[in-house]
Amino acid sequence: MSGYQQADEEAARALIEKVSPLLLRYFWAHASHRRFADDLLQDTWMRVHKARHTYRGGEPVLPWIFAIARHARQDNYRRARRVEIRETQVDVLPETAASSSDVLRDVTDMDAILAELPASQREVIVMLKVSGMTIEEIARATSSSAGSVKQKAHRAYRKLRDLLTSGVERQ
Amino acid sequence: MRPDEIDRILAQAADRAVPPGADRDAKKRVERAILHDLHQVQPLAPPWVFTVVFASLFAGISVGVASALGMHGIRALAPDQRFLIFPALLAAAWFAAVGCAREMRPAAGSHLGALTLILSASVFTGLFSLIFHGYSTQNFVPEGIQCLVIGLGVSISAGLVIIYILRRGCVMDWSMAGLAVGALSGLTGLGMLELDCPNLKAIHVLTWHVTVLVGSGLLGYTGGWVADYFGRVKR
Repeated sequence: MSGYQQADEEAARALIEKVSPLLLRYFWAHASHRRFADDLLQDTWMRVHKARHTYRGGEPVLPWIFAIARHARQDNYRRARRVEIRETQVDVLPETAASSSDVLRDVTDMDAILAELPASQREVIVMLKVSGMTIEEIARATSSSAGSVKQKAHRAYRKLRDLLTSGVERQ
Repeated sequence: MRPDEIDRILAQAADRAVPPGADRDAKKRVERAILHDLHQVQPLAPPWVFTVVFASLFAGISVGVASALGMHGIRALAPDQRFLIFPALLAAAWFAAVGCAREMRPAAGSHLGALTLILSASVFTGLFSLIFHGYSTQNFVPEGIQCLVIGLGVSISAGLVIIYILRRGCVMDWSMAGLAVGALSGLTGLGMLELDCPNLKAIHVLTWHVTVLVGSGLLGYTGGWVADYFGRVKR
């Protein structure tokens, strides 16, 4: 990251190469953002590029980038909601979404697993398990305390255990 | 089901979530956009520098304006009242300055604006009701309005200067930043009033001086929210 600040092209390329897959997995893990994942990745990197002078050498890079990605995602969500509210449906679409009873049919389906969690717990689980960040890194990225992140992860695990156990039993 | 089994299911699901090769084109596009505009940047000064700058602004503006208007308030206060009010103001302002400095960088720690505002409003309400007396409402509104206008005027001016400095960084959440700025600029207005206003009636200080602090915090939050909203619309 320090090399990127010094306009080192190789360092910038290496950073993009290393972090982009993690960011893409993060965006893909949120079903409502999947169709925007590419745009969100681009938007996040544009914001990273604009804000690169605020990174402090020696500090962990991932929380810094994910804090930016998180805001890009939130902005995108709010913008999409605003557009959806103003949109008028001109045709009746067929029902394609799974009903809540079908949600756990496939216990390894990412959306089904995560959809049952509240947004804050879902975000922690995605950062922890999909992007591979540590509790401390997540706490930094989400501007909260490590204790609060641990608590959210614990609650999410408890809920996931119940959901997955009941899903397996049903199968 | 054990935690490691949940981990395994999540890991498998995550691996399957992103289609293979999905990131290749995206990465190429990002590289093109970024490498095209790559130039050296000067890293932002450490957070403590900005904390000192914000705290100095608080002290400078409140003392400067009070000196211009006349230090009638500090002369009217008893030594024990001064000893209680000003250290509390300095401590609250330092806390608010740390909060403002944190808003300048992504992932710099928890937001402190709301906490500072709630703590300051509670501490000063308690403190003023303990050390000041007198609940007569004679000239309550005319004297109060004067303090409110001057106090808010100083707060808004201080807030604008703080925002100007804040823009050197990268503010992620303007609502939270607005709250932190509002808390610090409100404390600046309150500090100036304690130095300048000789009216020591509890009802006056509790109503009008504390309103400067709370009003400034709310103004900051609203301004930040509006900036966030229009920032999103523009993007």
